[in-house]
Amino acid sequence: MKAVPAARYLASIFLVAAFAFVSPTSPAVAQKPGGSITVGLEFEIPGFDPLKVGVFDTSTEIAAAPIFDTLTYLDDRREVQPKLALSWTHSDDFKTWTFKLRPGVKFHDGTPFNAQAVKENFDRQKDPANKCRCAFYIAYIHDVQAPDELTVVYNMNDPTVNQPALLTIQSVYNVIQSPTAWKTKGDDYNRNPVGTGPYILKSWIAGDRMVLGKSPDYWNKGHPYLDRVILKPLPDAQSRFASLQSGEADIVWDDEADADNIQKAQKDPKLAVHSYAGSGAAVYAFNTKMAPFDDVRVRQALVMALDRKKWSQAVTNGLARPASNPYGDGSWVKCKDDGALPEDVEKAKALIKDYGKPVDFKMLVTATPRGRTNGQVLQQFWKRVGANMEIEQVDQATIPPRAFMRQFQLTPWRIIDLADPDPQMYANFHTGSPVALANYSDPELDRLLEHARTTADMDKRIEDYCAISRLINKEAIWFWTFQNTYYAISSAKLKGLPKIYHGVIDVSDVWME
Amino acid sequence: MPGFVARRLLYLLPVLLAVSLMTFLIASLLPGDLAYVILGDQATPEKVEALRHDMGLDQPIWWRYLGWLGHVLEGDFGRSFRTGQTVLQAVAERLPVSFELMILAELIGLAIGVPLAIACAAKSGGALDRFMTSTAFGMLSVPTFLSAILLIYLFAVELRVLPATGYVPLAEDPSGNLRFFVLPALTLALAEWPGIMRVLRSDMIATLQEDYIALAKAKGLKPSRILFVHALKPSSLTLVTITGINIGRLIGGALIVETIFALPGIGRLLVGAIYTRDLIILQGVVLLVAAGFVLMNFIVDMLYAVLDPRIRHGHT
Repeated sequence: MKAVPAARYLASIFLVAAFAFVSPTSPAVAQKPGGSITVGLEFEIPGFDPLKVGVFDTSTEIAAAPIFDTLTYLDDRREVQPKLALSWTHSDDFKTWTFKLRPGVKFHDGTPFNAQAVKENFDRQKDPANKCRCAFYIAYIHDVQAPDELTVVYNMNDPTVNQPALLTIQSVYNVIQSPTAWKTKGDDYNRNPVGTGPYILKSWIAGDRMVLGKSPDYWNKGHPYLDRVILKPLPDAQSRFASLQSGEADIVWDDEADADNIQKAQKDPKLAVHSYAGSGAAVYAFNTKMAPFDDVRVRQALVMALDRKKWSQAVTNGLARPASNPYGDGSWVKCKDDGALPEDVEKAKALIKDYGKPVDFKMLVTATPRGRTNGQVLQQFWKRVGANMEIEQVDQATIPPRAFMRQFQLTPWRIIDLADPDPQMYANFHTGSPVALANYSDPELDRLLEHARTTADMDKRIEDYCAISRLINKEAIWFWTFQNTYYAISSAKLKGLPKIYHGVIDVSDVWME
Repeated sequence: MPGFVARRLLYLLPVLLAVSLMTFLIASLLPGDLAYVILGDQATPEKVEALRHDMGLDQPIWWRYLGWLGHVLEGDFGRSFRTGQTVLQAVAERLPVSFELMILAELIGLAIGVPLAIACAAKSGGALDRFMTSTAFGMLSVPTFLSAILLIYLFAVELRVLPATGYVPLAEDPSGNLRFFVLPALTLALAEWPGIMRVLRSDMIATLQEDYIALAKAKGLKPSRILFVHALKPSSLTLVTITGINIGRLIGGALIVETIFALPGIGRLLVGAIYTRDLIILQGVVLLVAAGFVLMNFIVDMLYAVLDPRIRHGHT
């Protein structure tokens, strides 16, 4: 089971040069050109200039997908495919990646797309003088060079075996923006983005509608299909769903917190629920330098005391999918044995008894209805086995600094859906990393993490990551609760939507039946 | 009269100053330092330190307040750290939407409340009066988020005659613009008319017992003329106050209604600023809204004086 996707994955890296014009979808039915759709987002879009907005939230990434292109994209089988880049090669040590770019592509303002443009996008975000929050996410790349018009060279700080996959998400640091546009428009660029994508920004009413029109000279001939895409922030979940039912929106963003409407839509033949079981999970980290979590028995007991099914039922009507490792069903890392501890109340009780001292501790919880509910559920689970957890409600923004300063006993965290586990696993568990929240150091764990990031053989990497999961689960320094699942609900007539990787509903290539 | 206006304007100054201090303190003392908010998942102690220094957050709070106030007096309310937009730009974009919503809601509220109040007062204690009084009481207790969702389900999902969410600018498409405003304005008006009706009804009942009304009746004037000409104006004093105060309440209601109906107004701007912890937008908008509210009350005071000469001559 596990060898097949791994082999495909490798093939996609090395054999990709053969394809010049690959359609992002390969549907069996005829696409109907024309028409327009309205997309309902959760939040208002603050803008697209990296120096102004720092990072894109999901709503902005959804809007960025049709306006901009990335160098590569993931197809529905999670294989990396060419977009603005046609092919790529790497050095033997995986510290240099060279991309050949698609010729003849122009930005919407007529600026030619070339290696210099890619380099300028990178340099602007990397420049310490610009103090961009985005710089953090490209810190692993040392520099980008443009030796000729259509060749881009990425020089990495450390070996990176999966760079083409990491460039696929429509995030602030992956979409290619027109250098001429941000230089000439100055402060106005933020709300007047210019890319190479299939749609061009036509108008934007603050807080209301962003209207995109079909680009007449899109490099991928015959695409896109729709004439117009309208993006609207619809912040209230109930009225967002009502807008879909009444036909004012054709596709809306959603999440598990809105389980009632998702389940209602699943039964409605006029609607289609698109969900994507992503990689990563909602997780919690123990501070192993603080009592009582300096004792492995206590950590194991608390993990064994969980009943994730019941929890999912209580909070999301059973929609949330329990997680037993940090990778999730959406990852190419599949483990026969991930070393998950059993959910066993009796064993948990015995471990606490064995520990002998009272188990009292505080857990950080975000001061939101969702955070409080999760905190109360955990409190009940742990009470059953004789542990007393006190909920400490804090503001969402307070959690990262508290975590970085290790001022917590137990804190919630998240592993997001990325195409490769390395960036997050290495940061979360390697000795000395600022987000290695558990304060836990193990030479074997470090060795496995280093081996996994410098090995090209996917089977070997999978073995490494499964060993890492077994080690972490056994030591119970972190635990995983639910896998990341992303949702969109659309009219049943909307076709051609790709997988919702990273939560990005990419409507670039959809059509209406 | 000019002396009266000047005195009232002078009272406004300490109020506005107090409002500015309160807004600044609330925004500054909220848990979660602005530097943490901006840095998000990269809030390492060193970066927080550096950013706090850059933004002047390491200065004492009174110093920061004075600095902010100085900028505000120069007309600079600050910039959103999220979008780079200035507070004034953001407010200017959103104000027309909220303004239109408030006016329409108030008009619908008055259109429902005033005739009902007159009808009830004309036959106080009658069947209509008793029915409407209890209905008004019931309507007062329905929260706007509930009536909003019920209206959406009825008119947008079931009947499909009005849109559930959305907006077009008035200049672009006037009739389309009104279609989008019907449900949100109605939602707000449903919470407004009971207050209007109850106040005007009781004032009118009192007025109708005055001697000059009895005289008018004795003179054989038509009942409709007595109601609309002789009784309505003297009874409307409290109504003016209520309408003024309602504007403030409507700003509060707009937070919810604009969010549910996805109208890009001031309320949405505020809710968005709270969610994204855009404290600069938050404190700027709250200050402007509070100033607007204070000015509204000032205008109400002035209207009072116009309606009732006793007030401007200080014989209250």
